[in-house]
Amino acid sequence: MRDGISIRAENVSKKFCKSFRRGMLHGIADISRNAVGLGSHSYRLRKDEFWAVDDVSFEVKGGETLGIIGFNGSGKSTLLKMINGIFWPDKGKITITGKVGALIEVGAGFHPLLTGMENIYLNAAILGMTRGEVEERFDSIVEFADIGDFIGTPVKNYSSGMFVRLGFSVAVHCNPDILLVDEVLSVGDYAFQRRCLEKIDEIRKRGVAIVLVSHNMQTINKLSDRCLWIHQGKLEGVGDAESLTNRYHVGLFSGRSLAGVGETAGNMKLVNKYFGYGMESIVVESVHLEGNEIGERTVFQAGEDVNLVIRYRLGNSIDKAYLRVAMINENNINCLGDEIRIDCDSGYRFSERGTITVKIPSVRLNSGKYVLSVTMQDDTYNNPFYSGQFGYLTVVNNRSSVNSGFSTPVLWDRFDWKMERD
Amino acid sequence: MIGPRGSGKWPEVITYEPDNSIRKGYANLFREIGEDILRNRWLTYQLFKRDLLSIYKQSLIGILWSVIIPLVSVGTFLMLNSAGIFSIGRLHVPYPLYAVLGVVFWQLFATGLVAGSNSLVKAGPMIVKINFSKKSLVIASQGQALIAFSIQFVVLGAMFLYYGIVPNWMILFTPLLVVPVLLFTLGLAFLLSLLNGVFRDIGNIISILVTFLMFLTPVLYAKPETGLLSSMNRYNPLYYLVSVPRDLILAGKTGDPGGFALSILVALIVFLICILFFHLTETRVAERI
Repeated sequence: MRDGISIRAENVSKKFCKSFRRGMLHGIADISRNAVGLGSHSYRLRKDEFWAVDDVSFEVKGGETLGIIGFNGSGKSTLLKMINGIFWPDKGKITITGKVGALIEVGAGFHPLLTGMENIYLNAAILGMTRGEVEERFDSIVEFADIGDFIGTPVKNYSSGMFVRLGFSVAVHCNPDILLVDEVLSVGDYAFQRRCLEKIDEIRKRGVAIVLVSHNMQTINKLSDRCLWIHQGKLEGVGDAESLTNRYHVGLFSGRSLAGVGETAGNMKLVNKYFGYGMESIVVESVHLEGNEIGERTVFQAGEDVNLVIRYRLGNSIDKAYLRVAMINENNINCLGDEIRIDCDSGYRFSERGTITVKIPSVRLNSGKYVLSVTMQDDTYNNPFYSGQFGYLTVVNNRSSVNSGFSTPVLWDRFDWKMERD
Repeated sequence: MIGPRGSGKWPEVITYEPDNSIRKGYANLFREIGEDILRNRWLTYQLFKRDLLSIYKQSLIGILWSVIIPLVSVGTFLMLNSAGIFSIGRLHVPYPLYAVLGVVFWQLFATGLVAGSNSLVKAGPMIVKINFSKKSLVIASQGQALIAFSIQFVVLGAMFLYYGIVPNWMILFTPLLVVPVLLFTLGLAFLLSLLNGVFRDIGNIISILVTFLMFLTPVLYAKPETGLLSSMNRYNPLYYLVSVPRDLILAGKTGDPGGFALSILVALIVFLICILFFHLTETRVAERI
């Protein structure tokens, strides 16, 4: 490592073919050209080909952890496989200094009929260990895998947890200079995940360069020093993990084009309206959200104050109602909400048209996309006036993890509100 | 985990670029190939062990299958011959001995070619996830044929005893006599495993071709003196590679020393060209498999 750079990727691109059959023909053409010593002109796109990774450059130093994030199919794994030398770039150049270890899919080289012990030797050989190295580290591998007496049992009889533990254990005992990790940390039970993270931390402290691909922003945030965001094969952003994972969440849940991420605005669309309810004594004409400043927004940081602005029109003359506001997540769980009584006692009276502003003091929600449900009922709860769902509201929460499996706590809060007549 | 040209001294710099290998010149390429194979010999052994264990672990008589298959084909020919359907030709030794000896060498080619050309496809899921020497896969796939060969040779020994025939002392050179046919098979296996990675049709074609070739090549019958088969086999390197070792073991001499020498040369050239082809294109396997 003359300049301390472990991985240097310079304008790296990789193309794939959409059509399988044509891909075969392209493949045979490439192979024949290479075989007779000709270049394959790989920088050109042929029919049905596209760039899966397009002009990506970055460097990783020893001891540094680089996180790679991106939506499904954005080219993260392809990039990782190129660093690993499984795929070769079609354009650009990757320079690797040191021995590469990969946790791309643990236990990929296992044979189900062989025993745990036989598989340790086999997998270690495939992963590039020498015989002496395996013999020296054998006990340590078995200990970390924590499979006890099952070492002599064929791995097809292993539980999936044992299988993964053994695979992970062999892989981390390769003592690489560069470690590539692709979403393997999400397997196994919680205790094992923690041990994996500890192990990776330990490896990092030894000065190993780590490249980490994950959909779990918590993991990325916790482990990486820097972060790459790959979108549709292109580099969407480079920077510190926190700000990038923030933007990633916004993009993920708002589903908007990434160019506009950050300044999403506009009315919330009515996504569901419950008919059959109703008298339509009151109709919600539009709903939008604001932060503390004036201006419509749909993306909020967890903990921010949100103002919900409801424009209504009166059908019949009513003087009291219950307004229910709720934020519903993608699993249809009502996560945050309140019920507000509007009548003369609270000092307000419905006019023909007007605005109700509900102040939600702090959106304490997990990262995610939420539907806003707005319902008006009469005070007997028997006559719904209006019920509609508006979408979408995106919450970004850096302390929460999308994949963690912990559900958002259900919370009924006290919202302040006010009403203005037109 | 280690690149095809990885490992060795640390820290080593590896560069991945399009058409990397063709920049290097052919002399360097052969050195690279040699180093690659040598460095990965333990991996090759482990893969070989895996193949062997996995085939015979869930089987009652295990490795004995490798004896049954050639005996059955010899038995079939014997039956056809006694029924007068098929003429074996004139022989100086008992037919079963002649046929089994031929089949044993033939199986080196047939089993090796089928196993070899399927080796990459079978390891497909592993190839796209781990970077390791693909040459080791192809080489290890030949182990099966070699093990079968050794066991078949034990049976052959028993047959020599039974017929009371003493083989020529050339039998001691068997390990050398198998080298040409092994090189030829391994070479073709390198080429075909790669093509099979791109077109799965290759695997099917090979199974058919191997059976067809066996009938075409005088393995189970004596080479006819005249006719189409005779002239075809004059240019069939497999004929020489299989039947000359048999002649040598049975009689200590052969009628075709020139053909044998030429076939060894052909085998060597096939091997070198195919392994070079494999080396130049193995980096493209993962994206096509």
